Amino acid sequence: MAVIRDVIPQLELFQPTSADDALALLAEHGSDAWVYAGGLDTLDWFKDRVKRPRVVVDLGGVESLKEIRSTADGIEIGAMARLIDVVNNSDIRSQFPALAFAARSAASPQIRNVGTIGGNVTQDTRCWYYRDGWTCYRAGGNICYASPPTAMNREHCILGASRCVAVNPSDTAPVLVALEAEMVIRRGSAERVVSAEDYFVGPDIDIERMTVLEPGDLLTSIRVPSTWADARVYFEKVRDRDTWDFPLVNVATAMQESGGTIQDARVVVNGVAPTPVRLRAVENAIRGQARNEQTAEQAGNVAIQGVAPLTHNGFKVNLLKNLVKRSIRDEPMSL
Amino acid sequence: MADYKLLGKNYQTPDLYAKVTGRAKYAEDHRAEGMVFCKLLVSPMPHARVRSIDSSAAEALPGFEGILTYDDVPEATAPGETSLTKEPRYEGEPILAVAAVDEQTAAAAIELIDIDLEPLEFVLDPLDSLRPGGPNARTEGNTMIGRELGEIKWTEADVAGLDAGQISMEAEAGAEWEYGDLAAGFAEADVIIEEHSYHQSLSHQPLESRTTMAYWEGGKLYVYPSVQSTARAVGPMARHAGIEPSDVVLINEFTGGGFGSKGSGYPQAQIPILLSKKIGKPVMMRVTRRDETSFGKARPGVQARIKLGMRRDGRITALDIHAIGDGGPYGRSGDHMNVGVIGSLAYQPVAMRMRGTGVYTNTPPRGAQRAPGGEQSMTMLSPIIQKAAKQLGLDQVEVLKINAPAGQATFGAPGRDGRRSNVSSAFAREAIDKGAELFNWRERVQRSGRRNGSTVTGIGVALSTFAAGASGVDGLFVIKPDGRMYIKSGIGPLGTGSTFDMMRAAAEGVDMPWERCEVAWGNTSRHLPWSCTQGGSSTTHAHTRANWAAALDARQKMQEIAARDLGGSPSDYEIGGERVYRRGNRSQGMSFARAAQRAIDLGGTYDGHELPGDINGMTTASATALAGQGLMGVAKDNFEEGGRRMSFVAGFAEVEVDVETGEIRLVDYAAGCDVGTVIHPKNFEGQVFGGAIQGFSVALSQKWVYDRRWGLLMAKRFYSNRPPGILDVPYEQPMKWGNADLPDPFNPLGAKGIGEAAQGAGSGAVVVAIADALGEENGDFFRSPITRDMILTQLEQAPTGHDRLTAHV
Amino acid sequence: METLGFTLRYKLGLTGTKIGCDRAECGACTVLVDGVPHYSCSLLTHSVRGREVASIEGLEAEDGTLHPMQQAVLEEQGFQCAFCMSGFIMNTVALLNENSSPTRKEAAEWLSGNLCRCADYDKILTSVMRAAEITRGA
Repeated sequence: MAVIRDVIPQLELFQPTSADDALALLAEHGSDAWVYAGGLDTLDWFKDRVKRPRVVVDLGGVESLKEIRSTADGIEIGAMARLIDVVNNSDIRSQFPALAFAARSAASPQIRNVGTIGGNVTQDTRCWYYRDGWTCYRAGGNICYASPPTAMNREHCILGASRCVAVNPSDTAPVLVALEAEMVIRRGSAERVVSAEDYFVGPDIDIERMTVLEPGDLLTSIRVPSTWADARVYFEKVRDRDTWDFPLVNVATAMQESGGTIQDARVVVNGVAPTPVRLRAVENAIRGQARNEQTAEQAGNVAIQGVAPLTHNGFKVNLLKNLVKRSIRDEPMSL
Repeated sequence: MADYKLLGKNYQTPDLYAKVTGRAKYAEDHRAEGMVFCKLLVSPMPHARVRSIDSSAAEALPGFEGILTYDDVPEATAPGETSLTKEPRYEGEPILAVAAVDEQTAAAAIELIDIDLEPLEFVLDPLDSLRPGGPNARTEGNTMIGRELGEIKWTEADVAGLDAGQISMEAEAGAEWEYGDLAAGFAEADVIIEEHSYHQSLSHQPLESRTTMAYWEGGKLYVYPSVQSTARAVGPMARHAGIEPSDVVLINEFTGGGFGSKGSGYPQAQIPILLSKKIGKPVMMRVTRRDETSFGKARPGVQARIKLGMRRDGRITALDIHAIGDGGPYGRSGDHMNVGVIGSLAYQPVAMRMRGTGVYTNTPPRGAQRAPGGEQSMTMLSPIIQKAAKQLGLDQVEVLKINAPAGQATFGAPGRDGRRSNVSSAFAREAIDKGAELFNWRERVQRSGRRNGSTVTGIGVALSTFAAGASGVDGLFVIKPDGRMYIKSGIGPLGTGSTFDMMRAAAEGVDMPWERCEVAWGNTSRHLPWSCTQGGSSTTHAHTRANWAAALDARQKMQEIAARDLGGSPSDYEIGGERVYRRGNRSQGMSFARAAQRAIDLGGTYDGHELPGDINGMTTASATALAGQGLMGVAKDNFEEGGRRMSFVAGFAEVEVDVETGEIRLVDYAAGCDVGTVIHPKNFEGQVFGGAIQGFSVALSQKWVYDRRWGLLMAKRFYSNRPPGILDVPYEQPMKWGNADLPDPFNPLGAKGIGEAAQGAGSGAVVVAIADALGEENGDFFRSPITRDMILTQLEQAPTGHDRLTAHV
Repeated sequence: METLGFTLRYKLGLTGTKIGCDRAECGACTVLVDGVPHYSCSLLTHSVRGREVASIEGLEAEDGTLHPMQQAVLEEQGFQCAFCMSGFIMNTVALLNENSSPTRKEAAEWLSGNLCRCADYDKILTSVMRAAEITRGA
């Protein structure tokens, strides 16, 4: 069979108008079904004819999943809320500006007009071998093309490798982990809540998935508690170009500070491992310390303990160190 | 500068209305009745041979319309490139094409084809091929030796340093030239800088791919390609089709960019041409972005060892270059040698030697990309010059001026008679001064190395030069009895605006208001004249000359007609205000409209029934078709030649480098130019800054990345290839440009081209500014693009995984 | 499953919207859906059912009066090959509806999802600023 990487193949399309209908379809078709949110991640796979599910469930008509609403203890963001809605939402902007900032740093304006936060947080890795259809571990094969010394792995991981060395490319994910967000997942009539930190799955657990979602599951909303609403939350993304590009490394640090001393912090980085990484060692090192250049420097050094860079991504070690340092030393960038 | 009514003024080009209203039709916008679609089966391997193809299942698919394989197309004479091949020499090379009623069917049909490929040896990095026993990209060899394919392998001694990233200056080279006394030059130098330098290969990536539609009717080929040239594309299309040029109708009114990759055609145009002939239906070949990256051509990368000697006053006394060019698998690229040619012009080294070899690799085919070899020259040489200048404590601008060419300066390789070429004009120092003034160099250079938190400022300047004008083509227009001027433009519509801008020279020449002019273009059935190729920045110079010649021809004819009808001699009459009249007595004359009618009455040369003997055959055919319609201005450009036309751009850049993240922000850029007369300021500005920004992308982001084990390209798409977006270039305020405004003495209108010299100015200025920011200790890169990882690994001494010369990482 | 870009170009004869990459990386295919800029190459046609789609062909008024951005491009000789033009123009229409006094920086940020390979960004931004001027003057 010759290969062509163009033209969406024949697929069966369903357009449910309620979450219940969507769940029924997912239950019925199991692993034959593909969840279609904003479509930006999806269309790449389909147009390249690399992933070809039999059934596509388009959530675009499920209005109930698009809401963003204030609740008693925070904000609940529907999984189908667009990134632009997250950027523009006044509650999010006033309580969690870093989340709006991170959403705004993703992709490009037109993509943000369609791409959803659920999609952004659940998106597949951008390892170019995997994306180009090479049959690696993540694609069900038994090899990793990115890890050998001759491989092109500038954008791959320096932490958390386990046969697969790809990274999670989401910008909103590390912020959600830092804010202690919770992911609300429905399956049939059941609902479960998973912390953002536990939402992501490393290759050591399941090499073919990025999140805990299994066939039949639907991420319905993301709950951001008000715990860190008044905190100092820093987000920064470093990439090659100022639009479109995924992060080389990004950082989200939520910090409770009082009288110049760090009371508590959650430091999360992405683009360095197959999942967003919570740097507990850094958090422990800085808790109770003065927020100053020295502490920031120390945090950076702790952050890179145990890194295992590949042939071409040694720079990510420096970038990780510096971004963690900046996230503690510098003021969060304003919207 | 002369005072012109039209030239040098802004105006709205005739194509713009169609563009802004969405009416403009590019190749993929055309439809023909019964049109079918073809998709391509391309090679999944860097080098392979087809063992067998079984397309029976594909052909049985409902909606299948036809198939074209390498057996259906003429084989190319090595090292030429053909449209479909049995031995693909790069990933993505087309092997066969399937036509079907729609793309879905065509894609499904491709998947039903069973193809067996035998993998062959491949090579990605030219240096790997030069090693003793190293692989060759082609079965016949790895380079051209004279006119034959051959092989050059270095000795073990030559490559002893290669693992450490070092090229031997004296290892065998395919070509070389020199002038002056190199040893004496180095002896005289007070500082010698010797560095290895790498310039990446990068795809042209015009926004419109080379989608092509074709059909045959009445024995003629109707082809809708995406090409840069109009008149010059006819021949290549005819050759693809195996017919006479007179049987080709080429329709191409709008082209979405080319930058050299679609100069006068491309091999893949042959696919819909022959497929439509085979199946008797119009075929639309929509080239995807992925395919465009595969076969849409690319700039040859260069790996070089460069040794430069500078005297304490800043004069470059010696320059020695050994360069390896990455030639892809086809053709014969001279970019690497041009690094020396162009460098010799910009810097006028007292003594110089240029040695180089073009090596084939199994990567996309190469072609000229905006300033081929020239941009590489500026990008690679500028930081070396800057380093020498800094070691001597000299100002960068002063150093460029001391070495700058002037007048009819010589450059390039000595010919058989020992003489070197010379330029027609060079006002490089004036260009540098102009740019320095606009950029406020004296003040800004104080900011060099200044820290602001984690960012550090860098200031850089580069002098760039490149070809700026062809000659010897034809102008053609008719003034009809309605008093309007109908100008024929064989200039391709690739986006420079030259299609129309150069026609203003014809109108200027007869003092015709532009509102009374109509330009015919973009369709060869409209009787267009022989024109130059839209490439090499040839057009401005070539067609101002050609159209001026046609204007003079028309003037002469009108004067003759007036003298014949009204008495006296032709020289008693002058042209102005749409009349030809007796000097000193406007009422004694006739209107252009009347003169046009008289031309028809008189026939002969006046209305095109008799034509000059030296115009090109295409012009003759077009003029013949227009005979009897009015007063014809038709002439070949026979104006004096004074040397090769080259233009100069001095680029000035300010950057900020964040030493913690490796991010580089382009704060500002300004350009000082020497292009003679500017014909259309706004279009000119587009070229200066468009070229500069393409230069920025060379310096900062755009490159290929190849998996070395499998020989496959990982950076196939825009987001992995990284062409610059609007936020990657200065955007908070407009950039500035200025022109020396000194006319080229050998063009009657003083004009030279601009498109290409502009790019090296941008890339050179930025690489120099980055080096300036990071200072002597950390500013040595000599490798492009300078990406985040390079800044960080340099600053923090982190391991890189490749050496300075490694290709495609 | 067909994308809006293909439907416009091949089913409705509206070829003013261009396909540059078909992968949401260039913006040449930008149209407005309910006034919001979208990459039409990355929108499945069925998802615009019941919504208003605006492409370049619909920009000029019945009597031929051009939109300020179209007018500004004519005045400033904006764009070169113009393959990216309709995407930029449609995106600017949305910008000016939202903010008729953008700074050059705000305009660049709004338009950051549109690629110009001729790199005419400088002149494009000048055209946008002129369009804003015309809009405010109207």
